[in-house]
Amino acid sequence: MDSRKAGTDDRGLTRRDMLQRAIAGGVALSGAGGLIAACGGSGSGTSPNPGGSAATIKRGGTLRVGLGGGSTADTLDPHNPLTDPDISRTFQLYDTLAINNTNDQLEMGLAQSIEPAGSAKEWVVKLRSGLTFHNGAPVNADAVIASVRRILNPKSPGRGSAALASVGSNGMKKVDDLTVRFSLSEANSEFPRVLAEYYNGIVPPDFDLAHPIGSGPFKFKNFTAGEQSEFVAFSDYYRGAPKLDAVVIIDLTEDSARVNALQGGQVDAINDLPFSQIPAVKSSGTGAVLQADTGNWVPFTMRCDVPPFNDPDVRMAMRLIVDRPQVVGQAFGGQAQVANDLFGRYDPGYNSELPQRTQDIDQAKSLLAKAGKSDLTVQLTTSNATIGMVEEAQVLAQQAKAAGVTINLRQVTSNVLYGSGYLKWPFAQNYWYTRYYLGQVVESTLPTSGNNEAHFDDKRYVSLYQQALAELDEGRRNDLIHEMQKIEWNTGGYIIASFNNQVDAYSTKVAGFVPAKTGVPLGNYGFHLVGFTA
Amino acid sequence: MTRLLASRLAWGVFTLVLVAVIVFLATQALPGDAASAILGSSATPQRLAALRAQLHLDEPVLGQFWHWFSGLVQGHFGTSLAARRPVSDVLGTRMLNTLTLVVVSAVVGLPLALWLGVRSAVKRDRVFDHVVSVGTLTLAALPEFVVGIALILLLATQVLHLLPAVSLLQPGVPAWEQPKALVLPAATLVLAVVPYVARIVRGSMIDVLEEEYVQMARLKGLSERVVVLRYALPNAIAPAIQACALSLAYMTGGVVVVEYVFQYNGIGAALVEAVDNRDVPVVQAIVLLIGAVYVLLNILADVATVLVTPKLRTQLRRARRPAVEPSLATELPR
Repeated sequence: MDSRKAGTDDRGLTRRDMLQRAIAGGVALSGAGGLIAACGGSGSGTSPNPGGSAATIKRGGTLRVGLGGGSTADTLDPHNPLTDPDISRTFQLYDTLAINNTNDQLEMGLAQSIEPAGSAKEWVVKLRSGLTFHNGAPVNADAVIASVRRILNPKSPGRGSAALASVGSNGMKKVDDLTVRFSLSEANSEFPRVLAEYYNGIVPPDFDLAHPIGSGPFKFKNFTAGEQSEFVAFSDYYRGAPKLDAVVIIDLTEDSARVNALQGGQVDAINDLPFSQIPAVKSSGTGAVLQADTGNWVPFTMRCDVPPFNDPDVRMAMRLIVDRPQVVGQAFGGQAQVANDLFGRYDPGYNSELPQRTQDIDQAKSLLAKAGKSDLTVQLTTSNATIGMVEEAQVLAQQAKAAGVTINLRQVTSNVLYGSGYLKWPFAQNYWYTRYYLGQVVESTLPTSGNNEAHFDDKRYVSLYQQALAELDEGRRNDLIHEMQKIEWNTGGYIIASFNNQVDAYSTKVAGFVPAKTGVPLGNYGFHLVGFTA
Repeated sequence: MTRLLASRLAWGVFTLVLVAVIVFLATQALPGDAASAILGSSATPQRLAALRAQLHLDEPVLGQFWHWFSGLVQGHFGTSLAARRPVSDVLGTRMLNTLTLVVVSAVVGLPLALWLGVRSAVKRDRVFDHVVSVGTLTLAALPEFVVGIALILLLATQVLHLLPAVSLLQPGVPAWEQPKALVLPAATLVLAVVPYVARIVRGSMIDVLEEEYVQMARLKGLSERVVVLRYALPNAIAPAIQACALSLAYMTGGVVVVEYVFQYNGIGAALVEAVDNRDVPVVQAIVLLIGAVYVLLNILADVATVLVTPKLRTQLRRARRPAVEPSLATELPR
């Protein structure tokens, strides 16, 4: 589903936070350009060894990172990361065959190439030669096969098990020591993207969770679930040895505790800076804000199979009611960009030819009248499952009044939102992180998707999807994606008002953080590029 | 005395059993289970089913309760659903950390409260009394998290940079070896309980100081120090003991908020997290622990009150047969 865990991470906001954020919004936006420009010098992340500001970074030191979302459920499992700190650890310990880089573009990782052999069902993965794990063992075909089998283990299926299901345990063949041939039961033109998910890391065949071995930039030192973990630099890291000696990842669940720890100098970087704290960190003189445009989205989900939203006119009316710039400003404190009811913003196939949808109350009213729903009253189930979710619902409810639509808000905890009522709410919200388009489709907009909250079911859409999955030519695949997005834009069950920023913070004593469009905090947790300047 | 203790203990155990049942029912009423809480929205039906089987969540509720309860009677708290380790393992260090925090706060706070209360009573309606009154009333009106945040702003982040804002304990190192991390949370707890105890002590001291035997002692020409410490204080101490016990019990519970504010790694923070993760065995263990502390402190306070109140002591003695008398003498030091 999303690239990070949802549900247990309650980052609720009070009304006071909201007001502070609304005020802070303007300030933050005006400062954003300069800030991104200031830290953009350290490379786009497309080359294995970005230079730039690295020159001013000194070698050595221990980076202390405070992250929210951790708990005693924390694990080092490469294929089952559960919490945000877990995800950050997979980026330190393990490597994947390909990578979603900080521009959210696909890049080769441990693999030198991942090429189709004739059709989108046959893929040949060639590893870079001479790579080793932390213990000196070679990164080879056996390790790749063992890792995928570990993900597919039915007793403990990994996060990537659903996407890799078409491989099966017999779908891999070792061609030579550095080459594996994958035979899929179903075509998947985006197979390299599947292998690039951070939870599909490559580990040695004799992997032991008690002494985790990977090939990532940092080696395991110690780990206490719910508290902290330590890692030391792996000098043979294939993308260049880390500048730091070590990294300590500390669980700091509470938002203000994280900010306090940064301002008190107890940690050097934190994730998920509350929007209300942006001005405080900027003015402190000791902290810098890392603001990243991302493809993260918080949709309203309208069920297309039950009244009133089974009528496409009603869905369109709801989409026309939304004043998107107001959602960006009021619900997300300006930390977002207007969206067009489509996801997959950074996908090469993203359809930017469709006109930007804007508020049109008159048109909404006439569509509602045509549907016989002029005095529509609906209940919207909302939750503080992620930043700005409840506020977005409140803004929509306010805006809907202009069109004569009454939206009654029902606020529940995230455990209820994702509990037994999940997928049953006629009108609710969800949140998703950045993904390539077809990878998101399989999660949420096919009749077979596990998270199709809108119960969207369009035959032509499904057929286009299957064609796209079989289409190896990128140009033609993008045309198919364009068509799919057109269908969603016209009749989809989502209202997608904005793409939201990822906001983190770090001490001015460190440099090298790059904003990541993937939405993964702290520049894809790229600590191997980070170091102390003083 | 023994009979009093025995009956109190029996009631205490009964209370704890009730607590266990109620907490179990309450956790069952929470929406979602540990598997869905742990996997969050990354859950797929296959992953949920696999995790539920691993955690034995697919067994009937009554069976789960019985399994847990029978283990408890034998001294096992079960296995944490989130950490997949024995609860005693998960909570061991955390309990010590919380205990350290509460003991440090009590050692600093209770004598301070006693001193403030006695002195305010003696200096009744003078400047000292007024200052203490306003101070304690203000503090009593503020919730701990406000006091904690104010201390952070004052001593850690904004005004002065003397102490760590967040109490990051090194795993595997006892809390008392990391005193800097203890100062702010302990200070918050001290500020939370001192007003209450000080005001109780002041009130009961004022009552006693107006008694005729105190007047008599003063008329006899005894020094004020002797009058206060030897004549008045012993008679005012019974309500203070009750107040101290209640405060200690309150600290054990109030520690939840304080630990959360400072991210101090104790059972309070663990409780918040366990509820989030629907980690029922850990919730049960922590609530039972806090409940047990409440019950024990109340029993101790009752016993101590009897010991320092001659009237209650003799009542007990009179209710007894003469044969028990000698052993009672050894029980009661004096």
